[in-house]
Amino acid sequence: MLRVALKGLLAQRVRYLLTAFAVLLGVAFMAGTFVLTDTINHTFDDLYTTIYANTAAVVRARQAFNPGISYQTQRPPIPAALVAAVRRVQGVREVSVGIEGYAQLVGANGKAIGNPASGPPTLGEAWPLAADMSPYRLLAGGRPPQGPGEVAIDQHSASVGNLKVGSRVLVLTKQPPRRYRVTGIVTWGSAASPLGASVTLFDHKTAAEVVGQPGKVNEIDVAAAPGVSEPELASRLRRALDDPSLEVVTGTMVAAEGQDAVHQAMGVFDTFLLVFAVIALFVGSFLVFNTFSIIVAQRQRELALLRAIGASRRQLVASLLVEALVIGVAASIAGIAAGIGLAAALKALLGAIGVSLPATGIVVGERTLLVALCVGTAVTLAAAVLPARRAAAAPPIAALQAVDLEPEDDAAHRGAIGGALVGAGALALGIGLFASTGNRVALVGIGGAVLFVGVAVLAPLVARPVSAALGAPIAQRSPIGRLARQNAMRNPRRTAHTASALMVGIALVSVMAVFATSIRASVNSILDAAMQADYVISPASASSMATGFSPHLEAAVARLPDVAAATGIRAGTVKIAGRTMAVLAADPTKVGDLFDVGVVAGRIGSLGANDLAVSEQVADSRHLVLGSAVPVVFPATGRKVFTVRAIYRDRQVAGDYVLPLAAARSNFVEQLDYQVYVKLRPGVSAAAGRQAIERVLASYPTATLMDQAQYKAQQAAQIDQALGLVNALLSLAIAIAVIGIANTLALSVHERIREIGLLRAVGMTKRQVRATIRYESMLIALFGALLGLAVGLALGVALVTAMRTSGVTRLEIPVAPILEVVIVALLAGVIASLSPARRAARLNVLEAIATE
Amino acid sequence: MVRARADGLRASEPVPAARIADGVKIYGRGEAAVLALDHVSAAFAQGALTAVMGPSGSGKSTLLHCLAGLDRLTAGQVLIGETDLGSLDDKSMTLLRRERIGFVFQAYNLVPTLTAQENIVLPLTLAGRKPDAAWVGRLVASLRLEERLGHRPSELSGGQQQRVAVARALVTRPDLVFADEPTGNLDSRSATDLLAQIRRAVDAFDQTVVMVTHDPRAASYADRVLFLGDGRVVEDLDAPSPDEILEALRRLER
Ligand SMILES: Nc1ncnc2c1ncn2[C@@H]1O[C@H](COP(=O)(O)OP(=O)(O)OP(=O)(O)O)[C@@H](O)[C@H]1O
Ligand SMILES: [Mg+2]
Repeated sequence: MLRVALKGLLAQRVRYLLTAFAVLLGVAFMAGTFVLTDTINHTFDDLYTTIYANTAAVVRARQAFNPGISYQTQRPPIPAALVAAVRRVQGVREVSVGIEGYAQLVGANGKAIGNPASGPPTLGEAWPLAADMSPYRLLAGGRPPQGPGEVAIDQHSASVGNLKVGSRVLVLTKQPPRRYRVTGIVTWGSAASPLGASVTLFDHKTAAEVVGQPGKVNEIDVAAAPGVSEPELASRLRRALDDPSLEVVTGTMVAAEGQDAVHQAMGVFDTFLLVFAVIALFVGSFLVFNTFSIIVAQRQRELALLRAIGASRRQLVASLLVEALVIGVAASIAGIAAGIGLAAALKALLGAIGVSLPATGIVVGERTLLVALCVGTAVTLAAAVLPARRAAAAPPIAALQAVDLEPEDDAAHRGAIGGALVGAGALALGIGLFASTGNRVALVGIGGAVLFVGVAVLAPLVARPVSAALGAPIAQRSPIGRLARQNAMRNPRRTAHTASALMVGIALVSVMAVFATSIRASVNSILDAAMQADYVISPASASSMATGFSPHLEAAVARLPDVAAATGIRAGTVKIAGRTMAVLAADPTKVGDLFDVGVVAGRIGSLGANDLAVSEQVADSRHLVLGSAVPVVFPATGRKVFTVRAIYRDRQVAGDYVLPLAAARSNFVEQLDYQVYVKLRPGVSAAAGRQAIERVLASYPTATLMDQAQYKAQQAAQIDQALGLVNALLSLAIAIAVIGIANTLALSVHERIREIGLLRAVGMTKRQVRATIRYESMLIALFGALLGLAVGLALGVALVTAMRTSGVTRLEIPVAPILEVVIVALLAGVIASLSPARRAARLNVLEAIATE
Repeated sequence: MVRARADGLRASEPVPAARIADGVKIYGRGEAAVLALDHVSAAFAQGALTAVMGPSGSGKSTLLHCLAGLDRLTAGQVLIGETDLGSLDDKSMTLLRRERIGFVFQAYNLVPTLTAQENIVLPLTLAGRKPDAAWVGRLVASLRLEERLGHRPSELSGGQQQRVAVARALVTRPDLVFADEPTGNLDSRSATDLLAQIRRAVDAFDQTVVMVTHDPRAASYADRVLFLGDGRVVEDLDAPSPDEILEALRRLER
């Protein structure tokens, strides 16, 4: 029986090729993600180990909690005077100090180098005291910075900003912008920069002034004398310093912290990409299912013959599953190879956009091989089980009958199963979206998948009438259209399953479109209602509360005669009620005039240094009223208790808690504004105001001045950018579905060779043959798009409804994206038909007719 | 009366509906080459039913395919009316088939998704032309298909299917209709029926029909019978009786 299976496979190999390719794409995406993250993790593991190789212990301030990965310095500095005490400890060979903070280089062309809002951070540091404890390596021709006017910069920034040793460079810090001379260019270990971050190195005293605090350092790094172990040195330091606000950790632990941070960040990235790999494989499984169904139907007579001569059903199923197994394994192995290539290409791409990685090899872990191989094979096998069983159920008598059209199946049975699946999927989705307990993400994912399968099961029931309706316009216009419509209608199961693969991608794209449009509408309506400022000064593409600008910017703008008020907004990470979150802080006396967050109780203007404002939603759920006490934990300064003095409605912009500026001053480590709101004096024209402010901003290249419309546009652009990325990744799922349509058509052409020959004989031109297949393809694609839009819009509405309490207050159904989806589907149909249509048109009339 | 004709032309008649002159068809190449038509010349007069007979492998189907523009000769010339098929590209050949030639195959004549009516008018549909309702009506009536027009091929008997195919072949009022063993798959009643219809079409509509057959009874419906042997025309009989045909076949086998 195995021989029969392998022979069958060999005979059908061309037909299975596209199926295998679909599986290959999904596996490649998955393996590529694994390889890329493993490679990056491995690279950084090595780097951190190297960097801290000579650091035995680190003395630094204790943190109340770990705020996670952040571009901001979250640890308070410690007195520089401690260095002397550390030096005195037995077993200390060498001491170096770290000073670190915000610094932004501006390139020779006046453009900021690196943008922390959309990429790696821009840092300022002190030139290391001990070279063997520093990650930085000075390139030949440079020297360390000395005095207040000199800096060294990383190699990546130097090449981006076109800066050389001797160049003058503008550097933005929390101090007013200042120009420095570049005295040296450094690498970070073997990399051009730390993960693409832009680094400015100052001499010690300057660093303390412009990025740190005078008389303070961020950490003290200690090298051990020979024979002294890391833990030994750390405990001696602890004893000697004896200060509960300090902590002493070993070099190994610090390296591990850095490694963990990278692993954590890569884990998020990894999961994000894997979601799309799983979607691709899911769509691929539709393809496998469909191809097997068609091929098995086409081989019905052969299989029935095997049954007639004594093969059992089990043997038949087994032999078909062996075919699936071979395809799955082959496609997965090829997919892994392609994935490794993909990862290498992505790594090169990361290098090209500035995230230069040290030159290390590609890491292919066991997990990559095992998981990718198993998943790819399992998906193929699972998708083949049903078609195999259905084929084996055929009676031996079928060997004697020519089966041309697929047998009608039991509509009631199909409807019941499909309905049950749709119901179960919708239920799981609903619980995932609306209930507050359980593993919501998993419920949404599984619910979505079950729902899609359910719709695919139901789709054949409507395939005939829907194809008839969709095909009506072309059928009326041309006889070729009529033929194509009939072709799409003749195998409703095949048409429906092919369309279902496209449905998945289109549905996901539509969900995202509804979601993004609704968010945009919600943001706009809030800004319309709440923003009273004339202008916002914001980082060029503010996406996170990454860093910001020096408070000097706010002061300089506020001093302008045309400006009535300017207030900076600060952001920081805190822990409230056990949850780590970002909160905003602003000057309560000024912010009310610039931004109306819809205060429902109390007054923001009366917030004292130990007061805060909360959103209505949090107030409701935590039963907070005016006067309630809210403990807030700051990473740097620990637990502080605040009193609720105001409750507001709009959490979309302000978040759940707003602190007074005074609290930020005394508890945040970095004192940077992430946005500045500006109101002009009455009577000042917008043009005049803008001109005045822009003169100030000339020396802050990262800051952009936006009026309300521009700010809205920027917010919309950010949403669109995120949407674009997701859509780009979803396009893989759509591409696989297009392969599915091409595959189905190729199989159909194969099966209709005689018919096509006949049509050619009675006068169908090649062009007409191609058109028939193209129209059929477009009909299938359109059917898939409609299914996808229906499911996607329903899911989108559900998602937006579920997100209402999170600030998505407007539901908006986007029209343009829907039209785009339809156009994309039609194009997909045309593309999918190209090769099958060409093949069909090339058929030799006589040979086609003679084909048995 | 037996005459072997070398030139295949009857000088006394006007331009024939179709003509093959010195036609050679070689399949394959080198060792495997098969000479299917060996310098065949023949003309097919307007308004006549010609039968082509001969042993299996004698080149009957090949001759028909080449005459009908489904295949090309290796050497020689095929003329449909005044048109030389050798000078046509695929597109023009397709259009010529659509406009001027009808074809009935031994089996598999109909598109399974289309009804009998749709199958009949298919060549017109492909050309984007409106069928002449009166003409289609006459055809359908004379082939006794009125009752069956709404059915799909799978719902028709073999004889009915072949009659639909004949109707389709005639619907464009083609200059020529070719039929390759149209009765091959039919029982003798259906076969007789079909042959009677073809004969009627020739007589009533002045059609030119060339039909390949193995059945002497079928051939006896013809105005003329061409006998092929080893790719050559070996005999050409005018309106022979079934006995004359049997005799000719026996001679051929010898
Ligand atoms: N496509 C082809 N390739 C190679 N040889 C072919 C091809 N078609 C036909 N032949 C050969 O050409 C010769 C004539 O074939 P043809 O089909 O014309 O015979 P026929 O008279 O129609 O026979 P039958 O009565 O069996 O249908 C045969 O020897 C056949 O084997
Ligand atoms: Mg033949």
